[in-house]
Formats: sequence, C-alpha cells, structure tokens
Amino acid sequence: MPEKKILTKNCGKIDPGDVSTYEAEGGFKALEKTLRISPEEVIAEVKASGLRGRGGAGFPCGAKWELARKSKGDEKVLICNADEGEVGTFKDRYLLQHDPFSLMEGMAIAGYAIGAGKGYIYLRSEYHYLLEGLQKAIDQSKEKGYLKDLEIEIREGAGAYICGEESALMNSIEGKRGESRFRPPFPPESGLFEKPTIINNVETLVNVPHIIQNGSEWYGAMGTDESKGTKLFCVSGDVARPGVYEMELGCDLKELVMDLAGAKEIKMIQVGGSTGGIIPSDMLSTPLAYETILGSGAVMVFDQTRDVVDFTYRTMEFLNEESCGKCTPCREGTEVMVGVLGRLVNGEGVDGDMEVLEELSDTMKLSALCGLGQTAPVPVLDTLKYFRKDYENRISQSVFLRSLKTVNG
Amino acid sequence: MGDVKLIIDGTEVSGPSGMTILEAANETDINIPTLCHRPDLKPEGNCRICVVEVEGSPRLVASCHTPITEGMVINTCTPKALAARKTVVELLIAGHTGPCVTDECAKDCELHYLAAELEVGPPRFQVKARRSYPMETLSPYVQRDMGRCILCRRCVRACTEIAKKNVFSMAYRGFHSKVVVDCDVPLDKEECRDCGICIDYCPTSALTKPNKGVS
Amino acid sequence: MERDQLLGMIKEEQAKNGSVSDGAMAHIAQTLHLPIGNVYGVTTFYSFLSTRPLGRHVIHICKSVPCFLQNGAMMAAAIEKELGISPGETTSDGRFSFELTNCIGACDQAPAMLVDDEVYGDLTPEKIGEILKSFE
Repeated sequence: MPEKKILTKNCGKIDPGDVSTYEAEGGFKALEKTLRISPEEVIAEVKASGLRGRGGAGFPCGAKWELARKSKGDEKVLICNADEGEVGTFKDRYLLQHDPFSLMEGMAIAGYAIGAGKGYIYLRSEYHYLLEGLQKAIDQSKEKGYLKDLEIEIREGAGAYICGEESALMNSIEGKRGESRFRPPFPPESGLFEKPTIINNVETLVNVPHIIQNGSEWYGAMGTDESKGTKLFCVSGDVARPGVYEMELGCDLKELVMDLAGAKEIKMIQVGGSTGGIIPSDMLSTPLAYETILGSGAVMVFDQTRDVVDFTYRTMEFLNEESCGKCTPCREGTEVMVGVLGRLVNGEGVDGDMEVLEELSDTMKLSALCGLGQTAPVPVLDTLKYFRKDYENRISQSVFLRSLKTVNG
Repeated sequence: MGDVKLIIDGTEVSGPSGMTILEAANETDINIPTLCHRPDLKPEGNCRICVVEVEGSPRLVASCHTPITEGMVINTCTPKALAARKTVVELLIAGHTGPCVTDECAKDCELHYLAAELEVGPPRFQVKARRSYPMETLSPYVQRDMGRCILCRRCVRACTEIAKKNVFSMAYRGFHSKVVVDCDVPLDKEECRDCGICIDYCPTSALTKPNKGVS
Repeated sequence: MERDQLLGMIKEEQAKNGSVSDGAMAHIAQTLHLPIGNVYGVTTFYSFLSTRPLGRHVIHICKSVPCFLQNGAMMAAAIEKELGISPGETTSDGRFSFELTNCIGACDQAPAMLVDDEVYGDLTPEKIGEILKSFE
C-alpha cells in the first residue's frame, strides 16, 4: 500500500504564508458547503464518517461534537490541541508548518457545528517558531472572511508534556498549574472556564474539511471497520528515511517502516509515543489501527543493537519527569519504577524487581487520575511480556556480580 | 430519598443526582477509606485511596468525586480495589521520611491507621531519595515538617476554603511537588494566625503546633 | 486582568529579563490579585520557565528516545565540551545556559536542539560548534 496523501496533499505545494495559494487548491470550499447546511447536518456527516481523535485517545469526533452542541450554555469553546508532546510525534508540526490553512478551515467548520464563538490553539512552547506563521494564517483567513463567527486565539504552553492531556491543557489556559482534573464533568459538558468545550487535535481538525467536501461515504471507504480515513505516521529511530508518512488506516506496520522508511534488522517498534505499546520483530505485520495499535501515530524503530531495559528506563524517566504530581499512583509510582529500572540498567537488580514493576503497573493502570498515569505502565508491561528474558538476564547478572564481590570482599 | 437508584455492595441505595459514590455509601453505613478527602472540603481526587469497582468500567473510580448514576453497580471491597488501595498507601509511606513510624505522632497518623487497616506488610517499594526538607519553626502558630507531608493538599484547601487565607500553594511538578508558602520560604506569614485549621486537617504530623514539638 | 493571563505574563517576564525573579512574581501576583504562591506554583510547574537567572541564550538539547537513538547523548557531551558547563549551568560570561529537555518534536531531524526558540536538527559535534559561534 503506497502513501495516500489527503491531509498532506497541500504540503509542499502551497505557500503556507499565502492564503490565496490554499484557495487555489480548493481551500475553504468545504467551509462554504458547511455554511449552506445546518450544524446538525455537519455533525451527522462527521459522525457517519467514523472520524476518531488523532491525538491518541481515539474518541469518536462526531459524538463528542454532538455532546457539546446539545450541552446547555450560550458560550461554547473550541480548542485545538497543538501541544504535541508525545515522544516521537511531529505530524502536527508538519501540518502547521506546511498547511496551516487546513487547520483554520477545520476549526471554522468545527466552531460552526458545535456553536462556538471562541477558539483557542494551544501551542507547545517547543514550537514557538511556528507561532508567527500560525498567527499569519489566522489573520489572512480572517481578512478573507472565513473566520467571521470564530475568534481564534493562540495560547502557548511553557514546557509540560501533561498539558497535551485535555484537562491539564484547560487548566494551563486558565492560568493554573497544568494538572489533570478528575472527570466527570467531561469537557463537552463543562470544560474551559466551565463552559462546554471541544478539544480536538490538529490532525483531527484537518480531516474535517475533507469529510465535508467529499462526504462521509467517500471517507468511510478508507480504513478498517473501526478506523476510518488516513493517518499521519511519524517514523523515527533506526530508519534510513525518518519523517511523516500518510497512510490509510489499517496499513501494514512492516511496509511502513521497512519499505517506506528503510528500517533493517528490527528488534522492536514502539507505536504511539512514550506510553505506546511495543511490537516485537516477529509481529511486524500488525495493521496500524485503533483496534490494534495506533496512539498518536508515532512509530519509533529500534534495531537489534538496542537494549530493551535501557529503553524502558529512559521512557519511564520521561514519564516521571512529566508527571504532573497530583495523584499518588503516577507521582510516586513512576518514581519507584525509575528507581527499579535504573538499578537494572546499572547492574544492581534484585530478585523481585519484575514483580514490583508488575504490581505498580496494575495499580497505576487501574487507579491513576488521568491518561498519563493510566498508560505509563504500558511500555513496562509490553517489554516484560515480549522481552522478559532481557530483564531476567539483567537480574541474574546483577546477582552474580554481587556474589563475586562478596566472595572477594 | 433521591431519584438516582444504584447498588453498593449488594444493597440498593438511592440519592439525589450530583451525590458522590462516597456520600451514597456513607448514607448506608458502608465505609470507604479516604485520605485526601474531607466532607467539608472540595473533592480533589488526588490520593486515590477511595477507589471502588464500578461494573462496566475498565478502571477503578475514585468515590470521593464520582457522581452516582442510575443503575450503577458498585463494589467497594473487591480484590482489585483493595490491592490498589494497599499499593497507594505503601507508595505514600515509601516516599516520605521515616521517623514518624516510631515517634509519638504515629498514633495520630491517618496514613499509619490506613496501613494497619489494609494490612500493609513489610515495605516493597523504595524511592531513590525520600523527600527531605528542613523543619520550619519560624511561625509561632504552625510548625511544618514537610518530610512528613503526603501531598493530600488538605491544608491548602482548608486554609483557602475554611480559613479564607490562601497561605499555602502547590509548587514544582511530579515527585518534587510541594506545598509551599510564597516563593517556597519557611512559613512566617502575617496572615497566618493561630486558627490552627491546617493543623487539624493534616493527616500526618507534617503540620503541628510548635509547643507540641516533634523530636 | 484575569487569571488566564498569568502564564502569558510569566512568559513575557522571562522573555524580557531572562528569568522570573521573586520580585517579578510578587508584581504579577499583585496585578492579578493572586497569592504569590500561586504565581510561584505556576512558574515552577513548567520546565521552560526559570526562577534562576539564565544566560542570554538558552540551549535545550533533546534527550528523549528518538534523539538518544541518534547519538543525542554525544551532542550533549559536545556542548559540555564546547562551553565547559554541565546541563543546568550557565557560562561565566552569561552567554549560554544549557539544559536537557524532553522531546521537542523534531525526531525526523534527530539529534536536535533548540537554541532560544529556533530548532536545529541533524546535529553533529562540528555543526554544534558552528551554530554556537553564531550567537553573541
């Protein structure tokens, strides 16, 4: 299956600094069509398309919009999540760099559908260099009259992975610490400033104009039963050609990383970012879809020379540093896990280390407050499942080395 | 009673919409342990001690902030819920400094009470470095030993919501999170008087009256 | 002024003065009618904000997995050697501060770094030397 460029069709073709080049490619035609039908019809079309959130969680987009549309409250808010902090993910950056107008059109349609007058783009501060271009895209789209009913404001983060989590993101916009909130209430009911709020990822919103323009039937013909449309995959790590690849959902992981990105002698692949699942080399023909493995679309490739325990340690260190610290299982659990994995990496493992990791994983998965803590154990559990021997070796080596010291000491 | 009907531990219960699982359980004398929660403070859901199993939910839910819904079937003492509570208590014990296990404050420590209740055994978890902060003795009203703090934030909320003072704030992130005063200075603030509310709400011996003293 | 301006104000202060001092936090707190502790709490939450003075330019080198796989650690070592400082430190002439950071979303150009707000990718130790030379 070759690449299928729909979301990225304008990338490299239009001038991201000139709205008329976007218009020349048929830009804003979907918005015009939108304004001729009712918000309910727009929502019905998006629902029928089967579009699901592209940020990682995969919630059905149309259903979410419907909740916000029906929610009581005069002022509704649309937030575009451009925080893209997930390790190995850079697709939203790619879209914002090469085609910011698609996002404008997607936001205008979404705003119309849910009845939002105010829109925010929450941009991570690591992407500050995109701010000027994005503001220009807002200004030009506004000048052309495409943002008549939606006032878009960019808000910047300040270095916090957790702010990609929607409730933490809203706290951040409100000027609070970027800690997660408990749910319910869910944002479509009570979100930013307690107003009904829709938070969509950049890529999700960029799908919308194509769905409206070409219809849900056309869109639904792409992908699998539960995963419709195309997806941007961010391939990095041990590959010859890292980058963004747009593929139909359900595509073959092996084809993506080997044929397109040029990976060789693969040991494993992490799909979906730091909290994503692990695919060992003997399962490379896994289709990439919501029903199997997907997440944010990050595809990090590790070749045979890489050390699994070292990888897990680094990943847990990341999650530990980025935990907001509000709930016990995540705040304390990631700290203990970093300690255990760090000892394993340094040859100081002890019998029982794997059990401690598993025990903590269970509690974090079941009882952490938000998605970070709940999914932080995934790389630990997956590496324990597929590469248990690597852990066992680390522990037996540690035990053996210590026994030598005792004998000689 | 209310219009929302649900089942907790096999007993049919009802309550008004908006009521939490914890409140509904308490009305029928079903005890769910809590730590960061107090009935007179806004729920925060940070400690995760009060988690229960709700049929149909893949994860445990915290009872202190989850509203009841029609037809909910809740079990408060399943092996999953008990195991999670126990691990959470062990994690909290592992992360803060040790002397309180033996000193006189242990008898009043809610964390130690919970540990006994949940039959927590010998320590399984270890952090690289336990939190350690110098004792704050400047204030004539409140002595702070933040090494004993378990970050339940009851003092922060009690000071804001009940005493209406805002003396405490949360600072830093993750494991390094800390309840601070201003730009993380020892407590010695003019607006802090001898109301003692924060001391009453502290579950451990992190906040004490200066004359009581902890060696 | 509303509370939702807080993060923006802190960021503006840092952009202007290189860091966020206790005095600046007190001033912001007063403007927004917030306890100082709340301003401190927000400032210390975010890793790109600093309460201690930083150099004129801040280098953020990515240490996350995709950059690590492309010798990111070697790049960090190259900067240490070039500037004679460790992560978290500032050169004595106040020209550079050097920080390790988590994923900056430039994994297709790994190893990568940010100097101030600009991204530099496909780094090599030689390239780093050249890039740093261009900063006053």
